[in-house]
Amino acid sequence: MTLALQLDEISAGYHGKTIIHGVSLHVPAGGALTVIGPNGSGKSTLLKAVVGLLPLESGTLTLGASRIDPLDAPRRARLGLGYVPQEHNVFPNLSVLDNLKLGWEGVHGGRRDSASQRDRLDAVLALFPEIATRLRTAAGLLSGGQRQMAAMASALMQQPSVLVLDEPSAGLSPRNAALLFERIADVRRTGVTLLMIEQNVRLGLTVADHGVVLVSGRVRQQRPAQALLQDTDLPRLFFGHEPATPSEATVST
Amino acid sequence: MIQTIFNGVVTGLLVALPALTLALTFSVLRFANFAIGAMLTAGAYTVYAFNAGLGWPLLPSAIAGCVVGGIMAVLIDAVVYRRLRDRSGVTLLVASMGVAFVLENAVRFIAGNSPAGYQVDPARPLRVGEHLRINHEQLVVAAVSLVALLAIWALFRLTPLGRAMRAVADNPSLATARGVDANRVIGTTWFIAGVLATAAGTLIGLDATLDPQMGWNYVIQVFAATILGGIAHPMAAVFGALTLGVIAELSTLVLPPHYRPLVAFAVLTMLLLVRPWGVFGTARIAK
Repeated sequence: MTLALQLDEISAGYHGKTIIHGVSLHVPAGGALTVIGPNGSGKSTLLKAVVGLLPLESGTLTLGASRIDPLDAPRRARLGLGYVPQEHNVFPNLSVLDNLKLGWEGVHGGRRDSASQRDRLDAVLALFPEIATRLRTAAGLLSGGQRQMAAMASALMQQPSVLVLDEPSAGLSPRNAALLFERIADVRRTGVTLLMIEQNVRLGLTVADHGVVLVSGRVRQQRPAQALLQDTDLPRLFFGHEPATPSEATVST
Repeated sequence: MIQTIFNGVVTGLLVALPALTLALTFSVLRFANFAIGAMLTAGAYTVYAFNAGLGWPLLPSAIAGCVVGGIMAVLIDAVVYRRLRDRSGVTLLVASMGVAFVLENAVRFIAGNSPAGYQVDPARPLRVGEHLRINHEQLVVAAVSLVALLAIWALFRLTPLGRAMRAVADNPSLATARGVDANRVIGTTWFIAGVLATAAGTLIGLDATLDPQMGWNYVIQVFAATILGGIAHPMAAVFGALTLGVIAELSTLVLPPHYRPLVAFAVLTMLLLVRPWGVFGTARIAK
């Protein structure tokens, strides 16, 4: 089994306070891994450390055959790491088309309108027909669902081998979230490896092979996604006790 | 009347180039570069060093001066602003005041306080029809400004570099994650700002004389023009500069000439009361 992305014993945090403690995750090429966990468990911090927006305190990161932990974020992107943050995930004052072109140019350099760039644009727009009609619109004016798709399309223009998604369904209506996850499944079928964190446990685990429960910056469980999905014990895994309030109980569904 | 409007347009173009420079650095770096005046002065004197010091003709002096001015701006960024990148716009504004003092006094120290002028051959003014007289300097100002404005517009709107600059302006951290080397983009922005400021300083020196205060005298007009158009929109700053220039010149038909600045600022104040984000500015999309 070839690994697309390998996190070995990584620790990271802010201002000297460690939030991620020795996390190890292995994502096989073409696979999909979803990290779930309660708020404040360090999920977004983990992804920021992977893409290079937050320095590691210790541990190693390997993308394909390359060690990437000594590299900065732009170099990791050029080696094949695509990233869609949860918020501020588009350039709001740039048109959707400019957002997409920038995704290509950031990684492939600024050669103008090459044939391969146009081919890539066509392929990406075929995955996200919803934004194909809105190419001239400023990305900041898109609706929540379309903006999320534009963000993902822009990251896909990089032709990443691994796509890192931070809570793609955050702030979306259930219908838009379901539509977005259909698109994520389509993206997966193109051979892109996915590492994702997701608050909607059911949606997040349905597109994944493996699920990881992260609690207080440590891996609490790592199992096949289907097994985790059917686990009635999830609230206990999340909170370390039986669900005390209805709101805690609903987190797992 | 035609002469007055023409003079106003040329005055406006003279302010347009530094206003464009200010708006360019503001839109990418999110701070108001108070050192714009000192950059004009330093640029004008750099060209003067090639022109009067080495005896080069003005055009090659200006080209060499622009390159030096660009490099100087990149160095200032590396020494001063880069360290403060994560700080607020106000901190950077104050830092740019410091840069202004250093630059202006360096010029004073090296070139002295007395006014100077470029060594150019005197040329006869052109007469167009009965009512319009055009100085050679006015033609140069108009031509250089228009070419520079067009080039910057094309760079910003049509090239991958311009797209990267706009992306860094919008969201530097996302730009980094998309593979854009933000430091290189910011360095390039400063280089362009240095080139433009030097070109603008040279035009101002050509229009009047060089003295260490020359840039400072333009600071308020440049800020006024930039804010009038909308500070985050480089091309709107050009509109602001032209409007201020023409209105100020037209006022001389009914008011004594030394009231020109007063009229321009009265217009600015009224406009800001109605549209505080500038004529072309829109409330920026922040999310």
